[in-house]
Amino acid sequence: MNRKLQFSLSIIAMLFCYISFAQTKTVTGTVTDDQGLPLPGVNISVKGTSTGTQTDFDGNYSISANEGSRLVFSYLGFKNQEVSVTSTTTYNITLQASADELDEILVVGYGTQSKRTLTDNIVKLSAEDIDEVPVSNFQSALVGKAAGVQITQTNGKVEGGLNIRVRGATSISAGTQPLYVLDGIPLYNGDESNNGAPTNPLLSISPNEIESIEILKDASSAAIYGARGANGVVIITTKTGKEGKSEFSVNISHGSSEPTNKRDWLNSSQYIELFREAAVNAVGSSFNDEAEAIAYIEDQFDFLAAGTDWRNNAVNTDWQDLAFQNGHVSDADFSMSGGNAKTSIFFAGSLNETRGIIRGNELRRFNGRTNINHKFSERFNIGMNLSYSRTDIDRIANDNAFVNPLQGIAQPHISPAYNEDGSPNANTIYPNFLLQEENAFYKTIIKRVNGRTFGDYEILDGLKINGNFAYDLYYQTEDNFTGRNAPFQSTNGEVFASSVNAENYIVSGFLSYDKQLGDLNTLSIVAGTELNETTRRYESVTANQFPSDDFQTVDGGADIVAGRGNRSANSFFSLFARATYDYANKYLLKASIRRDGSSRFGGNERYGVFPAFSAGWVVSEENFLQDSDLLSYLKLRGSWGKTGNAEIGDFSSRYLFAAISYNQRPGISLSQPGNPDLTWETTTQTDFGIEYGFFNGRISGEIDYYHKNTDGLLFDVPLIPSSGASSISSNIGELENKGFEFVLNTDNIQTENFQWSTSLNLAYNKNEILSLPNSNNDIVNGQNIQRVGEPVNALYMIEYAGVDPANGDALYFINSENPDGSLSKETTTNANSANRIVVGNPFPEWYGGITNTINFMDIDFSFTFQGEFGASIYNGGGRFQSASADYFDNQTLDQFTDRWQQPGDITDVPQARLFGGNGTAQSTRYLDESDFIRLRNATLGYSLPEGVIERYGLSKVRIYATGVNLLTFTDYEGYDPEARSDAGGVGQAFYSVPPARTFSVGLNVKF
Amino acid sequence: MNNIYRFSILLLLTLIIFSCEDNLEIDPEQSIDGSQALSSEQNLDALLLGIYQESGQGVSFGGDIQIMADLLGASDQISWFGTFVAPRQLIQKSLLVDNTFVRDTWFNNYESINQTNLIIDNLDIITSSDDKKAQVEGEAKFLRAINYFELIRLWALPYEAGATNNQAGVPLRLTGYEDYSQPLPAERASVEEIYAQILNDLGDAYTKLPTSNGVFATKYAAQAIRARVYLQMQNYASARDAADDVIENSGASLTESFAGAFNNDANSPEDIFAFQVTNQTGESDFITFYASQDNGGRGGDIVLNPDYFALFPDADDERANYSYIGDYGDDLTGKYTNQFANIPLIRLAEMYLIRAEGNIIETTSIGQTPEEDINMLRLRSGAITVTAPLTQDDILLERQLELAFEGFLLHDLKRTKNDIDGLPYNDPTLVLPIPQNEMDTNDLIGDNNPGYGS
Repeated sequence: MNRKLQFSLSIIAMLFCYISFAQTKTVTGTVTDDQGLPLPGVNISVKGTSTGTQTDFDGNYSISANEGSRLVFSYLGFKNQEVSVTSTTTYNITLQASADELDEILVVGYGTQSKRTLTDNIVKLSAEDIDEVPVSNFQSALVGKAAGVQITQTNGKVEGGLNIRVRGATSISAGTQPLYVLDGIPLYNGDESNNGAPTNPLLSISPNEIESIEILKDASSAAIYGARGANGVVIITTKTGKEGKSEFSVNISHGSSEPTNKRDWLNSSQYIELFREAAVNAVGSSFNDEAEAIAYIEDQFDFLAAGTDWRNNAVNTDWQDLAFQNGHVSDADFSMSGGNAKTSIFFAGSLNETRGIIRGNELRRFNGRTNINHKFSERFNIGMNLSYSRTDIDRIANDNAFVNPLQGIAQPHISPAYNEDGSPNANTIYPNFLLQEENAFYKTIIKRVNGRTFGDYEILDGLKINGNFAYDLYYQTEDNFTGRNAPFQSTNGEVFASSVNAENYIVSGFLSYDKQLGDLNTLSIVAGTELNETTRRYESVTANQFPSDDFQTVDGGADIVAGRGNRSANSFFSLFARATYDYANKYLLKASIRRDGSSRFGGNERYGVFPAFSAGWVVSEENFLQDSDLLSYLKLRGSWGKTGNAEIGDFSSRYLFAAISYNQRPGISLSQPGNPDLTWETTTQTDFGIEYGFFNGRISGEIDYYHKNTDGLLFDVPLIPSSGASSISSNIGELENKGFEFVLNTDNIQTENFQWSTSLNLAYNKNEILSLPNSNNDIVNGQNIQRVGEPVNALYMIEYAGVDPANGDALYFINSENPDGSLSKETTTNANSANRIVVGNPFPEWYGGITNTINFMDIDFSFTFQGEFGASIYNGGGRFQSASADYFDNQTLDQFTDRWQQPGDITDVPQARLFGGNGTAQSTRYLDESDFIRLRNATLGYSLPEGVIERYGLSKVRIYATGVNLLTFTDYEGYDPEARSDAGGVGQAFYSVPPARTFSVGLNVKF
Repeated sequence: MNNIYRFSILLLLTLIIFSCEDNLEIDPEQSIDGSQALSSEQNLDALLLGIYQESGQGVSFGGDIQIMADLLGASDQISWFGTFVAPRQLIQKSLLVDNTFVRDTWFNNYESINQTNLIIDNLDIITSSDDKKAQVEGEAKFLRAINYFELIRLWALPYEAGATNNQAGVPLRLTGYEDYSQPLPAERASVEEIYAQILNDLGDAYTKLPTSNGVFATKYAAQAIRARVYLQMQNYASARDAADDVIENSGASLTESFAGAFNNDANSPEDIFAFQVTNQTGESDFITFYASQDNGGRGGDIVLNPDYFALFPDADDERANYSYIGDYGDDLTGKYTNQFANIPLIRLAEMYLIRAEGNIIETTSIGQTPEEDINMLRLRSGAITVTAPLTQDDILLERQLELAFEGFLLHDLKRTKNDIDGLPYNDPTLVLPIPQNEMDTNDLIGDNNPGYGS
């Protein structure tokens, strides 16, 4: 009652004022931010009318308004502010930056948009999310922080390749990596490694230059990247200068690392006991009687022990400890940002040195960047971004090579690692990787220059023309020296030297039109064109016969035995357009279209069109919810669109014969069957989302459901081997990914001295193949199968049935189909009679992360847990490592402790039989679920009180301790659920290095 | 002024849009299109050379074909100490259908066969001379024949003289594939049909090839393979006659010493045909698996056992001592110590052995007597000579002494119906499985070989 009265009175009062003083006059003033810097382009409108204007470059405005009317000041990223016009004519306004994430600005392709009016699904990560995480590449810092984005480094080598899957794998044989766009430049992301294990080409990007990372997940956002958007788009925006006092920031950190896990292997006496028993058990197969078996195995022990007294355990070499080393990470970077009204500038430089946890693996990198923006005139802005970096990597062999240090675990502990004189022992059963380490090196150096000049000119109010010219150079050299005493070296030394030069030019021009139509309608249109050309030039030389190991370059070799040189190129030419419209921040619409042509596509299918539509309804803006205290924000949105995947190789559509050499004479040889219909694969994605906020945004988040259907799957369809070609690239097959994403952000405690917020993301993705070439025939490649109804690259092998308690034989389930369709669970000892079945998914179905950020007084603490569930890993090395003493490889401890020894023993470790192959077939015996939860990152910091440091002219001094992979909770029996093979096979491990657990301390100073 | 500015920007944009379509035409620089490859004589010639390269790869005649036959044919004379699983399965006679040697060799043989077919299909574009055309055809058919011959002896139950050899052989493909969108499945032809095709091709090759042809196939290379094929078919008379033709007319001669026949950078006078290896081209899996690390191998994966040395009745036989100690203290054969040496496919010595065996079975003395043929080889190696009468078993032994580790053992034991490591000559275990990937893709392939599932 009281309220109503008050309300009516004020209405009456207002009306009265209006009538009495309605008098138009010109109101002027300056709009600044909370630091006193002028804000250009602030919208000012007279509430309830269509009158409106914007501040000029210096933040000044001038508007006609009646006394008593209210002016509304709005600006993206700031809270709206209203003032009543009274008799005064000057109103200087200070806008407060908005803490509300709804007002966050997101970088979308060819423009920006506010979160509030967005109809796309985009996840944004800011500098705070990736700073200070002691990892050598920026992608690894994102792990667990973006809903629906699974990021896995192949294994623990510092330069190791990365797999990023945005909403599941959308391809089987084309690329599955997202498109990376750095400040508008699509980055060259080809793996240029020559040692069989991929490297991460984006290693060269320093996290300290990055302002934000936006990951475009749905079709509505990614379709503007057309034929390259299907795997999602990662937009990286670097920092820019800010007007006002220059700020200098220095960050130094240092840490040490160790493997997340080690495994247990047989020591010398266990090895001897097991293998003696295994030899005796081989009487009747490999040996005629026990005496022969014992004589044979003791002979072998003599050999393995290299003359040392194995009978008395003279040697017990822990080869695993030799393979690992203590790693460390040192990082030093600085940045400077500043500017005046016309020009802003940002400089950054950084140094990183990472010593991996596997022997011989190291990385050193330096980066520099300058970003300059200049306002040439009120209508004309120009700018330039330029960065360079050099990354120097000491590499080790790929997982499948004998000289991969971790393959050292195959050596028995009775074998000495070193001779008495300290040199590595060359008489081991497998080549001693220490010989490789001492006598060979593999050094990769990546030099990268990346630059863009850009300008925009405002032709008419709201209509801008934007021009960009960008250049991306990836230059890499590799120097591989193998000295005389390295394993397998027979040509008096060998040097392999390669260089590759990949360049990427982008020329783009587009018009953008932003218009406020009246008070309520906002329209924004972008239309333009882009040409992108990538060229790659490669050359390498191999030389043999060196005077001595002191000569380590090609010039020193007397015999040049191989030389390669080749060039390749591809181009994309695109036209694109997009329109976004919103009515009163309430009803949102967006449409975009892109037409892409590429040299990669077959002559018959050169151009593709990729449309997308989306719409949103901000329900909370409706009257019936506007005053709700509980539900402060609610948006419903939906989108549909098409994107493409063009990662099919440059000339995959062509029927080709390659040059070859026989007896040093020239010839040609069929290298590829052709398919002129070959083209991109098309992903059609539908997304429905709800964005919500409760209690004024203290609880907020998003829930999305998506369905992605990928058709025309780019496929190396296996041909019949007897047809003379192994595979043909075709657009056959269809798969889908569907799932949901759940994001919940809560401000748990918000007091002046204590703030605690939590951010949770969880995603579920179900991946399923819908159709395959050759009437849906299975495609089997090693232990991976493509089968309709199963996920991509499902794990496929025979099923281990354990051990026959009667005789210690390994058993396998026959798994033949019964008449009723079920599988026969009869067992057999003959692996050939067992049928392979689908036994696991190499990718997780559930994954997510939870991050807590706590600030208490001057202390900050944040930690991120990450989890993945539903994936399995097949250990390709299992049939050597846990092989019941089949061969002389050292065995996992369970082969000793759990082995079958006498009738009645119940175990799953078969009887040890030398050369017996008892249970060594590739089966589920070596398959394990890789579910895990891990404390991915935790950082604790303390900032010195401002009062103390101000005296020294500093604005911030903070010390912190941080760590990566600090805790892991898993039942996985292998090295680590994130250690997979870098030498082939999906969802497989093969002597693969576990990731590093790193603990680091640092200092952060700003002035 | 401003209008001009705006206008020129729009003009620039328009220009960009219309000038860029051409940028989509990019050709590969390291390869040529199939239409080019099969339309000129020069390119067809280059393709023919490419097949020698293809067939000479390590997974094929560059070693694995011969190594598979020796491992599968071995009993106690050699051991496999290497770490690779695929060869270990071979020597243990317990092959799995996904054996990688089996998979790679099968595919390589058919890669070669398909390209020989492409050449034979397109012979009409050779217009420079009839001789040239005949020579290209002859070489292509020679290469097709040797590939089918290895396929049929390794992947099918043995050919039995006097029987209907209708047991399943391998797919018989005689037309090259230019368009892989057509149906590709093919069923297995019978062993009889494959042998008929091999003899057909070798007959053509013999007629069309010149007597000398550099390091490439000649008339007598075709004839020598024909002798080998006839021998495998237990057609001793024809084998003898073909061998005799080679001995009398090829111009090849035995090297002075036994060692002189091996580890040669250039063909020796004894080589009737050899796959070429240089330090830049060619591969030798013989080196990989037989040689020490110093010689470019893996240190001695295949080692010689006392049983091997015991085969030699005469300890002074140079061949008995043609070995050395490898990295792990084992005896390794001396035949493969130069990693860039050519790989002899046919040595003249084999022709003497075939002629001798043919003469014994047929009780003839074409050329010269069996004792004279054998003693030529034995004298060269400083071994005591043999005297008449010789039996086929004597020849078989002599073949082991002379041709060890050159890929003969399995096939010799099979054609003479001898047991192999305790298994009867026609035991299905001694036949390679059709590779898993062929079984997975070829709908018409039917059942796998006995013992390998379906």
